[in-house]
Amino acid sequence: MKIPNVTPIKFNQRMANSLEKFSEQGGEKIANYINAAGKFAIAPLMILYNPFTNEPKENKKWAAIKQPVEAVITIAAQIMSLNLLYKGIDKLAEKGKLNFKLVKDAIKGGEIPKAIMEASGGDRAKAIKNLQKTCLDIFKDRVGTVLTIALFVPVLAISNRIFPKIADLLTKDNDD
Amino acid sequence: MIKPVTQSKILNNHLKRVISDDAFAAKTIVVCSVLKDVFAYSVRYKTTMENKKIPEKRRPFVAAMDLASGIVTAIAQIAVGFSIANPKLQNALWNKMFKNAQFKHIGAAKKSFATILALVGSGVITERIIVPLLATPLAAFVEKKFFKHDPAVTATKKYSNYPFNTHKKHSVFKNFASSNTKKEHLN
Repeated sequence: MKIPNVTPIKFNQRMANSLEKFSEQGGEKIANYINAAGKFAIAPLMILYNPFTNEPKENKKWAAIKQPVEAVITIAAQIMSLNLLYKGIDKLAEKGKLNFKLVKDAIKGGEIPKAIMEASGGDRAKAIKNLQKTCLDIFKDRVGTVLTIALFVPVLAISNRIFPKIADLLTKDNDD
Repeated sequence: MIKPVTQSKILNNHLKRVISDDAFAAKTIVVCSVLKDVFAYSVRYKTTMENKKIPEKRRPFVAAMDLASGIVTAIAQIAVGFSIANPKLQNALWNKMFKNAQFKHIGAAKKSFATILALVGSGVITERIIVPLLATPLAAFVEKKFFKHDPAVTATKKYSNYPFNTHKKHSVFKNFASSNTKKEHLN
């Protein structure tokens, strides 16, 4: 069997593909993923190996365990709530209840941002469609931020209840 | 209810700027991220002030440390995030990393690249690495600079300069404050 000549995908092309896939998620979700990743992977290491703290090792372990637990609970709550919110916004948009002035003006022959025109290959009808989608995505991000902020109170309360149990289990701390 | 929002000049100008200016889009996400942290620190401040388990005379200091940490984190994140979102730096990095790469929507990819880098710089490197590393020595520095030593108490300090201070002498305050400060930084 003859093996076809396949050009290996370069590293930067792989990164480019990942970047494009990631960018489809929208700014608010990207921000939440990055924050959760930092809290999950880096924060515990910083607590355990911070050379400036003289805290007992057991205390450090407890504080370190809190971070990934809080990160998982937070990101799960955020993504579930954001998905619900985005679905609701999409439904409103489908019903024609979300008409941005920028899009209305464009339909009437007004200016379309250069970036949208370029991305649409100069096709005005396509550009208006893209403009509506982009405006909707940005609107979702801003409303999403408000929702994420509102979620902090219940999420912190839940994680404060759950993390001591997990920390106790993992450290087998019998101090109290 | 939604119509006045979607027709408002503020929202539409904001949409236009986010679409046209990648750096502005990245800065907006950084500000949103910082707002979340500010809110989280404010909640922490409020819960500390209401926490009956902390003695009343010590509560303001512990809460003030929460607030101070929040302010330092917010300022540092904005400074780093905004610097990374700078178009010159973005273009240089983009050209170096994606010189021959092909994109379906290069504009969207560039915007995401600026946003991701600004968020990693502010939310991961600054918030998770730089601030925790600086917080402990900074807390020690503040403690040394703003709280006077009491010669009568050898192992503890008298906090006469402290603005919330209502008592002249707190024999165990120093130990409590320092251990709490450390714990707060660990959290």
